[in-house]
Amino acid sequence: MTGTALAVGRRRHAGPRLVRLHLTSRQVPGGLALLAGCAVLLRVALHLHWMPDDGAAARQTLLLIECAAASVVAVAARTPFGESERATGPRLPVLRLAASLLLTAAAAGSLALGAAAARVPGGALGLLRDVPGLAGIGLIAAAALGGALAWTGPLAYTVLAELALMDGWRTPWTWPARPAHDAGAWWCAALAFAAGTALVAARGPRDTGGDG
Amino acid sequence: MNIEITDLTRRFGRTRAVDGVDLRTGTGVFGLLGPNGAGKTSLLRMLATVIPPSSGSMRLLDLDPARHGPRREIRRRLGYLPQNLGYYPGFTVVEFVEYFALLKEMPPREVPRAVAAAVERVGLGDRAKAKLRTLSGGMLRRAGIAQAIVNEPRLLLFDEPTAGLDPEQRVEFRSLLRELGRTSTVVVSTHLVEDVGAACAEVALMHQGRIAFQGTPDELVARGAGHGTGDAPLERGYSAVLAAVRV
Repeated sequence: MTGTALAVGRRRHAGPRLVRLHLTSRQVPGGLALLAGCAVLLRVALHLHWMPDDGAAARQTLLLIECAAASVVAVAARTPFGESERATGPRLPVLRLAASLLLTAAAAGSLALGAAAARVPGGALGLLRDVPGLAGIGLIAAAALGGALAWTGPLAYTVLAELALMDGWRTPWTWPARPAHDAGAWWCAALAFAAGTALVAARGPRDTGGDG
Repeated sequence: MNIEITDLTRRFGRTRAVDGVDLRTGTGVFGLLGPNGAGKTSLLRMLATVIPPSSGSMRLLDLDPARHGPRREIRRRLGYLPQNLGYYPGFTVVEFVEYFALLKEMPPREVPRAVAAAVERVGLGDRAKAKLRTLSGGMLRRAGIAQAIVNEPRLLLFDEPTAGLDPEQRVEFRSLLRELGRTSTVVVSTHLVEDVGAACAEVALMHQGRIAFQGTPDELVARGAGHGTGDAPLERGYSAVLAAVRV
């Protein structure tokens, strides 16, 4: 057996191996660590009463933390491989979809965990609506601008949502400004998330050269 | 014929990067020459199914890449080394090549052997476990070649494959090209005419999106007899063809 053959070894489980390599190349382990950091930050903010108990100002700090978590999901869509990866088979869209779903679930889950047993402005249910919606905006930005600039989508939307909070907009498209029980806001957030994941899964992030 | 393209055009805005190209080629090494901006990379990207043509028809490996099912089959049997190779610096050489083998839907049992063979073929056997971030530019290029050949493709597309390789490595690469060309169609885009002379059975010279010359390297040399500028016969042929189309 040559040195190279020894380095490759014998691997039987190709599926898990491919998933592991894909997630590693997207720096998902680092992304999960950042999401854990967002959850800790939320916990500290709630514990130290950085947010007022109610009103628009209470939601603003929470929205910034949601934006940070969604940005992690969106930036992880970037590919280091560029065109050589795009010229491969149909496993790639499935992997991209799985990575987006996994990270979004981790983002919403970690923030929900960070807010556990605390009073969250707007309700904890709102977290589960806002984070996937913001992640969807980020994934749409990744498809349009490239993975490296994907964070600009959630950031721009957050600025808009902050305005909506302050001015009391009622449109469901600014879902973070709507109460947690607003069905229209849930639909809009779900639509943004579905569009973002579908775009990134099918087409991948825009190849800007900077991505790889 | 593994590549059959007719009146192929690719526009980027108002620019016609590839302008009505006809090309047919079978097994062997095919060289694509031309100055910067001639349309070589755009043509190669279309052949790699990375970008669709704006118009014209294309068949690869007797399949239509515009349709989803055939495109999947083409990609399984395709190897592509783009001009700008992207890589994840934290991967080892083996992980990099293995990732592409798995993406190209190789049977899992064949992957370890194929990865080891590809890494050995490009001379990176002793660096198999090295992280890509520790490799030199030439070694990275060879890792890129390894990912392209790991699935023993029937259609191989190399865009500037010898960029960054030292003279000894370039000689070895040309030898690998000849070997690959015995069983596959290999298209090599380059502006280094000596690579073409040493490895290619057929050559096309592109200028402003069109094919200005197509023939054997000897025929290109003949075009330069008494004309053209350059130190080597192929270079004189190259410059004579370009001078003629620029008039």
